[in-house]
Amino acid sequence: MTSLISLKQITKSYKSMQALDGIDLEVRAGITGLLGPNGAGKSTLIKLLLGLVQPTSGTASFLGFDVRKQGREIRNRIGYMPEDDCYISGLSGVNAVQFSGCLSGIPKTESLRRAHEILDFCDMKQERYRMVDTYSTGMRQKIKFASAIVHDPEFLILDEPTSGLDPEERETLLKRIRLLASQMGKSVLISTHILPDVQAICDDVVILSQGKVKLYEPLANLNRTTNPSFCIRAIDNIDQLAQALDTDDVEVIKNPDGTLTVASQAPELPEIIWKAAYQTGVNIQSLIPARNSLEEVFLSTVTESPNTEEVN
Amino acid sequence: MPIHDVGYRRLTNEKNSSLFRWLAICRIGVQLALKSKWVKRIMLTAWLPMTYWAAGFFVIEKQLIADQLSIMEGGGSLNQAAMLALTESITNRFSFFLGVDDLQNVFRSGDIPEIRNTIWRWMLMSFFRYPQAIVILFLVGFIAPSLISQDIRSRAFLLYFSRPISKLEYIFGKICVPSIFITLVTTLPALCLYMIALLMSPDISTFPQTWDIPVRIIIATFGLVIPTSAVALMLSSLTQESRFANFSWFAVWGLGHGAWLTIVLATALQMGLPLWDPEVMRSEVVTNWSAISLYNSLGSLQSYIFGFETFAESWRGIISLFGITAFSMTILYRRVSSPM
Repeated sequence: MTSLISLKQITKSYKSMQALDGIDLEVRAGITGLLGPNGAGKSTLIKLLLGLVQPTSGTASFLGFDVRKQGREIRNRIGYMPEDDCYISGLSGVNAVQFSGCLSGIPKTESLRRAHEILDFCDMKQERYRMVDTYSTGMRQKIKFASAIVHDPEFLILDEPTSGLDPEERETLLKRIRLLASQMGKSVLISTHILPDVQAICDDVVILSQGKVKLYEPLANLNRTTNPSFCIRAIDNIDQLAQALDTDDVEVIKNPDGTLTVASQAPELPEIIWKAAYQTGVNIQSLIPARNSLEEVFLSTVTESPNTEEVN
Repeated sequence: MPIHDVGYRRLTNEKNSSLFRWLAICRIGVQLALKSKWVKRIMLTAWLPMTYWAAGFFVIEKQLIADQLSIMEGGGSLNQAAMLALTESITNRFSFFLGVDDLQNVFRSGDIPEIRNTIWRWMLMSFFRYPQAIVILFLVGFIAPSLISQDIRSRAFLLYFSRPISKLEYIFGKICVPSIFITLVTTLPALCLYMIALLMSPDISTFPQTWDIPVRIIIATFGLVIPTSAVALMLSSLTQESRFANFSWFAVWGLGHGAWLTIVLATALQMGLPLWDPEVMRSEVVTNWSAISLYNSLGSLQSYIFGFETFAESWRGIISLFGITAFSMTILYRRVSSPM
């Protein structure tokens, strides 16, 4: 699959501060989550992709265009939803979206029509005629999202799209993003601190830390634990089963919800579990491969020492 | 209830040329400025002086036509006495105004096409220089301060620059906003006055005698629009609070002109002449320091464009305006680039 974003040895320095430190990254089509602690270089990376800041060294292409020289072509094809609460004072919601369309080159009448369509898509009703200055955070998020997609971009960059939204609105926005990706074929880069959002919709995950790419993996791979492990739910006597399984080769963790997580280097772990169940007479209700939580992956990745080899 | 619910659909229409993206910025700026009642009031007031100037053209054309008829009927040469009376009247009434001496000399020459051209130029220059300059001061003071400061405050830069818009296009789009308003209160009424004067003249042969005047009006507009818009936007880009930019705009005009008037007053006292005496205005110290006032510098440029000052007389003002514009544009560009 061709890469939409291709970064080779990208560095970006601001005086004495190294914001990006020799990044190599190939981002595929689909929804990619960009994670990282504060100051990891996420915003710099986004600005660099938009062509708003120039890399200090290295080469970067985005949608096949050189980031250094073809920023305008890139910005013509992407939609960007900034994290900051930014708006043009004095405009109504619908005019703000229409104006965004005009800035992207849509003729003004078509832009007005499209602004209404997009605001309907974003579930914005009559409040679209109110001044943006009077909007709540959630409504401004909707306007920013609508402005980012009004010109039908190929690629969306969403910076903290769900911050300030209530759980219901958050769920709806994630559905919209998923719909744009699956039905309209748009690729999306989501920068966020909200890991469940990434878990819910992303295909791939990039973790940035200290200006370096620490991890770039499909989410499905991250959901698998490093060692074979299983989550066991039993009808009764689970403590007896735990006791039977707890040997030198097998690690058993009793979870607060009454289930067991069993991990082992041994490839025949399912056989070991069934044998123990047979010996103890415990009835197993479910036996499923255990999943690593993204939070665990994130924490273990960003807390690695700075000298840790990059995972890419 | 949805208004036009068709789901998310592909954009099928052609996009506008990238050369005119700045127009969207300009259009929205004008739209927002026109929401202010004060701007609308100033715009209406700005057209009132035109009636006075139109009456002036009527009086002058009436006199010139009378003189022309007198010559055609063989009644002798130009009615020198009447012309001189008119000259005296203008000179006395507008002694403080620039170029009055030129008018006297041309009137004495007796060449009617030359007189017409000169007096029309002089009237239109005065129209630019006196009533409309004051209008522009207030109009730009109301419109320009919020143009960039509000974008800084509401962090709208990212909305603009994440689109296919360059910083220069953004600046150009913003500069066009005060420029359009300035054009509406100076160029448009000045061109209307020219048309009124043409209609009051004896026949269409007047046009070949005065064709240069509309060209001068348009050049004078550029001379007025570029420095004023650049200074106003530069001030707007320096702050998040438009009231500070507003205050700075009036301060730049007021302090500069106030300092120059102080020099004029000191010179008049030193020479023992009234403040408005032409001798005081022509004195070396007053002329040398004239460029500290933005108003005077713009006046010098306009006098040069309308042909009432030579370059040797107006170079200080022109260089000063050029310097102010270059400085303002540099600061403006840097300020617009800095949030990135």
